[in-house]
Amino acid sequence: MKFEDLKPEDTCLFKMLLKFRGILGRISSVPSRFEKLCTSASLTGDSLPTKSEEIFRSSAEFKFPHPYQKPRQAWVESISKHEDEKLGIIDLHPDIFGAHPRIDIIHRNVIWQYKYKYVSYAHTKTRAEVRGGGRKPWPQKGLGKARHGSIRSPLWKGGGVAHGPRSPTPHFFMLPYYVRVMGLVTTLSVKFAQDDLHIIDSLDIPTEDPKFIEELFEMRNWGPSVLLVDDTDLMPKNITLATDHVGHINLMPVYGLNVYSMLKHETLVLTLAALNSIEDKLLSSLHRSDGLNSQKKFRLNQN
Amino acid sequence: MSKNITEYALSMLRSLPRVSLSNIRDNPRAYRPTKRGRGQHGGDKHGAGNKGSGQRQNYMRLGYETGNNPFYLRFPLEPYYKGQHLRREYPPITLHQLQKLIDTNRLDTSEPIDLTAICNSGLFTILPERRQYGFQLKDEGADIFKAKVNIEVQWASEPAIAAIERNGGVITVAYYDIHSLFAAVNPIKFFRKGEPIPRRMIPYTDELAAYYSDPANRGYLADPEKVSWERFVLSQKYGYVLPCLENDPDYEMLIQRKDPRQIFQGLEPGWIINLKDKKILKPKSKELNEFYSS
Repeated sequence: MKFEDLKPEDTCLFKMLLKFRGILGRISSVPSRFEKLCTSASLTGDSLPTKSEEIFRSSAEFKFPHPYQKPRQAWVESISKHEDEKLGIIDLHPDIFGAHPRIDIIHRNVIWQYKYKYVSYAHTKTRAEVRGGGRKPWPQKGLGKARHGSIRSPLWKGGGVAHGPRSPTPHFFMLPYYVRVMGLVTTLSVKFAQDDLHIIDSLDIPTEDPKFIEELFEMRNWGPSVLLVDDTDLMPKNITLATDHVGHINLMPVYGLNVYSMLKHETLVLTLAALNSIEDKLLSSLHRSDGLNSQKKFRLNQN
Repeated sequence: MSKNITEYALSMLRSLPRVSLSNIRDNPRAYRPTKRGRGQHGGDKHGAGNKGSGQRQNYMRLGYETGNNPFYLRFPLEPYYKGQHLRREYPPITLHQLQKLIDTNRLDTSEPIDLTAICNSGLFTILPERRQYGFQLKDEGADIFKAKVNIEVQWASEPAIAAIERNGGVITVAYYDIHSLFAAVNPIKFFRKGEPIPRRMIPYTDELAAYYSDPANRGYLADPEKVSWERFVLSQKYGYVLPCLENDPDYEMLIQRKDPRQIFQGLEPGWIINLKDKKILKPKSKELNEFYSS
């Protein structure tokens, strides 16, 4: 079967095509109508909007433009209808969405997120804390038995534990500032490179029925778990009610965005406002001159 | 990191499984947990050795040689570092580093550059508590220095002065006392204290006063007429044509100088900066104004 015979309605092929999107991306002359089948990231820096689609933001408006790299590009979509209608194209900053995928940095961030709030309550008693054991069990000499001073010594059954866990053991530590920034940048780049990042115009949906949003994500092959990020923590009423009892679709404001949640959800969906805010914050974090000072209060030696 | 490597890595990710919480890992051998060996031999001495002060950690006092005449008492005193804790230090900044700061937009050449501007780049710092009295400008990279700047440092070598002036710039060496330095190095910390900006003190020794009054050093206490003559003398010595300041489009910026009593450009001694309300409080009483203007 040729590419020309494909129909978008053919869901089986549609999914297969998405599966092999990597192969599709390498074919240079994809017919224009199949661009619709490709998800956002398969558009490389060279392709420009051919039709009447709006350019939401061009790379000329970047705060810290990259001197050499071309901007990344993504479709701006809408979740107000089931149909996947592209509203336009947006330029993404290559420093934020085209960073080197450092898996080790992502790992360090995830471990940090596990650990900084983790307090171990495992507890054992030492020989001093176990009840009894004050008396010498038998004389030092003359019995032919091993010498012992206490029945609660770690050698004894029912005795104390040597070097056992003590409660509470905090595991708090602070990851260096720029590793935290790099973690966010790397995760966004990885999500974008794997077509798991989508840009939408707003979180407005026509109904508060959870069915609508679940069907929509199913049709677009998003998810199953989806993280929707908006600029504000006051989300629209419909999306809040629709996702309230759906465990795998979650809403998050920009200030809560973190590496763990981005990896926990298969698909990351950013609104335009969220995208602007994230880019703004991360770029200023990458370019600030006093970033190292933010680490000062976590130093052990405060001299 | 090369752009192509990043591109290649990202394009590889497209055909790899989704990066998730279950398939990330650190670099191999990036982290090795410290272990305390257990069991018959692993838990033997834990590296403390057998018997003696090593195991019991009751070490002899430092320098003690078990009854010998100790090394530190064997020879007469040779005080190489006498008074080291009182000496002034001027950490170096080279012209090469200065050019790099300018090229990477860390310094704005359209404004006069001073100690505060260099410290604000976040790459250089002055520690007044270690008796560091400001930056000394070194001539390394004088050949490639191309910026036109109005710079104020605390010490400068002759070739460095020549390199600045050859490019049409202006250089001043100025003295800051230790209290002014604390304010100049970290202005935000100083303003948060809510104290009035102090007067900058004049040099406290005759040697320093002589250095900062010498027009050949471009001292801030020197006569401007003599400084301009010394500019000409230096250009003759190093063999370059001295650019004319009066015809320069940035003339206004280039002739800006701080008052000898002033720490911050645009802020006068005696003023209080309120960062919270973004207001400047100026003294009104006659006595205070007299005190701070002296």
